[in-house]
Amino acid sequence: MIKGFLTVLLLTFFMLSHASSALAALKFHGFIEGSGSIRPGDELTENHGYNLYEGRFQLKTTYYPSLLEDYSSEVVFKGEIVGDGYDGEVRAELREMYIALSPLDSLDVRVGRQVLTWGLGDLLFINDLFPKDHVSFFIGRDQEYLKLPSDALRMSFFFDKLSADVVVLPLFTPSITPSGERISVYDPFYGSIRGEAIEWHFDEPENGELAARLYGNFSGTELAAYFFNGFYKEPKGIKDPSVPLFDYPRLNVYGASLRTTVIGGIISLEGGYYFSVDDSAGTDNYIENSMVKALIAYERDLGGDLGVSVQYYIESMMDFDEYKAALEPGSKVRDENRGIVTVRITKLALSQTLRLSLFAFLSPTDNDSYLRPTASYDLNDKVKITFGANIFSGKDDHTDFGQLRGNDNLYLRVRYSF
Amino acid sequence: MNIKGLGKIVLSVLVVGLFLTSTPSAASALSADEVVEKANLAYYYGGDDGSAKVKMVITSASGKERVRELILLRKDIADGGMQKYYVYFINPPDVSGMVFLVWRKVSGDDDRWLYIPAVDLVKRIATRDKRSAFAGSHFTYEDISGRSTVADTHELIGEEELDGKAVYVIKNTPKDASSVEFSYFKVWIDKATFIPVKGEYYDKSGKLDRTIYTDEIEVIQGIPTVIKGRAVMADGSYTVVTFTDVKYDLGLTEKTFTERTLRKPPRKWLK
Repeated sequence: MIKGFLTVLLLTFFMLSHASSALAALKFHGFIEGSGSIRPGDELTENHGYNLYEGRFQLKTTYYPSLLEDYSSEVVFKGEIVGDGYDGEVRAELREMYIALSPLDSLDVRVGRQVLTWGLGDLLFINDLFPKDHVSFFIGRDQEYLKLPSDALRMSFFFDKLSADVVVLPLFTPSITPSGERISVYDPFYGSIRGEAIEWHFDEPENGELAARLYGNFSGTELAAYFFNGFYKEPKGIKDPSVPLFDYPRLNVYGASLRTTVIGGIISLEGGYYFSVDDSAGTDNYIENSMVKALIAYERDLGGDLGVSVQYYIESMMDFDEYKAALEPGSKVRDENRGIVTVRITKLALSQTLRLSLFAFLSPTDNDSYLRPTASYDLNDKVKITFGANIFSGKDDHTDFGQLRGNDNLYLRVRYSF
Repeated sequence: MNIKGLGKIVLSVLVVGLFLTSTPSAASALSADEVVEKANLAYYYGGDDGSAKVKMVITSASGKERVRELILLRKDIADGGMQKYYVYFINPPDVSGMVFLVWRKVSGDDDRWLYIPAVDLVKRIATRDKRSAFAGSHFTYEDISGRSTVADTHELIGEEELDGKAVYVIKNTPKDASSVEFSYFKVWIDKATFIPVKGEYYDKSGKLDRTIYTDEIEVIQGIPTVIKGRAVMADGSYTVVTFTDVKYDLGLTEKTFTERTLRKPPRKWLK
């Protein structure tokens, strides 16, 4: 990681040294941040009293190469140095390093390390199959870190009514999911919640992926169709239960979305068909079943800087009977359908310098929940203080949020931006 | 009445008639609605499109300052009709690079999107409340992009002089009182340019709550343009806004106001 980072840095400086006058014109932004948390409920992970204790320095800049000015090109760099008190590591992380250009009137190209996002769900992802970092999300890092960057080529085509994005991802990047190291989690091989004792192994695919989106805005009504050909981003396959060794089975997704305004609010609809290529019959219980996932969302501004949004999300197994028939006797049977309701309430106060928000995930089918209250205050234009919590609860050990219930945390972040 | 007297009347009618057509300052024949329509066009629809650098200095009642800097692009789809705005944030540093896109409609809710570059997210913003503060300042969204001229009933309550300018004084009372934080507002409109030079907003109890001043006007490409203004609250907090690098009729097309430019800002217009 560090070696790659240095290469990129050297490359950047090489490029910049060829335009020393441009270098002087470069504007640098970034921040210095300190953060920490307390986690009272865990006894299973390495440092169970907390899961966030770190310093972070981010530097970002955009360089406009004069050579490629005709193509309105830009080189974007965003790098970070993290001193992580949890594992005692100092890491250099390259979040973005890409060149973007418009070689044709109707074409934008972006190549390099970049963060990619599409789809309409608010913290629920159906057609956005770009990698995520769920661990960062659960321990109280800035929400920015939920998205992991991808090394990709993105081509965006613009026609009269429609636009299309084609993203080629030559290297597979998995999502970061809890695995007992920093967050205790359900271990299906033991049938209980475990922490640092977990010894899972992961086999990552070596092939690339392809993601595409066709979209248009028709007088304020946004329509999109999505296609993905790649792999599950989470380890949804068990390759060898005796190790245990997980893998990332092949996945195709076909989806669509619609977003428009209705009587003072915004309504969003999104759906996707997850075709589990390696288990097309649904009979292999070591591989995730094919699924249909859908969500409907409504967001409304209530005035006085108070906003509320509600989402209803459902996923349904396509080959449930086959799955059930193939189960070994005595195995725990999954629910065929899983639903999640989310509620977001946001209130701004004190001339919009204080932001209070609550995001709640509630699953009536899994009987579990996840609450994310946050309060952030802008001390001035440069210093922001954020105080928040991640609170999980659930009836069962194995559900998505229920398994995390030992990881409830309270965190504090102080960030100086420049 | 003798023939001489009649001649006098004819002459004075002619003179007044000439005066009416040649100088707007004597156009007291305009109705309140017409004045407001003209002010709306003069204030918010200069040229077919335009760009400006905007700086807002927000001072709290205790004297603490915050600064917002942004670049504003605007295109009128129709004069007095739909407009599209592209707002590129430069400062404060934590919002640098964020873009706000507005398709402003004369009736109905605007369409608004916010682009957050850190996560490459195009977020749609619910827009029912146009009276909320713009970027934490003492200006509302409607102050920035205009309030529908049919949202209020307009009354011409006076014609006077303000800072050496002949002005109309218009009282505006909202048709839907529940949708706004004021009970009414008065606006002083320059008879020569139709630029509003002062506005007073009265709260629900009838007390003066907020005053907006036009501090400097410059004629740019033949268009009288507000380049400095102020919003002052009753509690002493205020925001000063200045517009620099104002340009009109750049030839912006609707292509500049789409998801494409959210994800890849049109540097040509933002330099």
